[in-house]
Amino acid sequence: MSDLAEPFAMSQPAISKHLKVLERAGLVSRGRDAQRRPRRLEAKPLRDATRWLEDYRRFWELQFKRLDVLLHEMQTTGLKKHAARIKKKKAAR
Amino acid sequence: MKNSERFNIRAHGDREIVMTRVFDAPRQMVFDAYTKPELVKRWLLGPDGWSMPVCEIDLRVGGKYRYVWRNDTNGREMGMGGVYREVIPPERIVGTEKFDEEWYPGEAVGTIALTEQEGKTTLTQTILYNSRETRDAVLKSPMQTGVAASYDRLEKLLSGREALSA
Repeated sequence: MSDLAEPFAMSQPAISKHLKVLERAGLVSRGRDAQRRPRRLEAKPLRDATRWLEDYRRFWELQFKRLDVLLHEMQTTGLKKHAARIKKKKAAR
Repeated sequence: MKNSERFNIRAHGDREIVMTRVFDAPRQMVFDAYTKPELVKRWLLGPDGWSMPVCEIDLRVGGKYRYVWRNDTNGREMGMGGVYREVIPPERIVGTEKFDEEWYPGEAVGTIALTEQEGKTTLTQTILYNSRETRDAVLKSPMQTGVAASYDRLEKLLSGREALSA
């Protein structure tokens, strides 16, 4: 743990607290030998979560791009209707 | 793909996923596109190759909605629905979400919030799962990997076509 704490301007208890949170989340695991408890980074859960978010974003970006097209269409047809109304009014005068 | 000012997606805490997206349209129009079935059916179609044969919306607190998508190739259907908890046109909708096929246990609550500035609308879409276990199950859900696989196929197809036309 002292190796892990070294690069940070943080007390050992603070480091220990952060490690516990990461362990509970399954992102860090703890080994055991005679004097030391070497920690190991568990990268897979984080990788799975990142991948899922990427897929989710792709999915929604496709939906939103279709929505962009629809909104554009709604605005241009709205404008056309508006222009037609003005033309009609002018013609009536 | 990276987060941008236009489109941002992030996990928030243990149970929540938050998305923001900017549209070049007034808020009322975005609200209509989200709440009028004939408009929803034009864009919320799921992955390429799917259509939305059913879209029913009873837009009031306690009212129900139901969506069904169909895979145009194999006819497979996927449905979901829920009940509205808050309806404030044109700025906010809160509703429960449950899929027919329970690829995750429990229920989720979805929120859509719209703000307008200088003719542009910012959508904030939030999904809150009922527990961390539910969110974790969603993260491992086969649906998403299925979606990814179909995109990969499409990309291959498109790059093949490009190579041919080049």
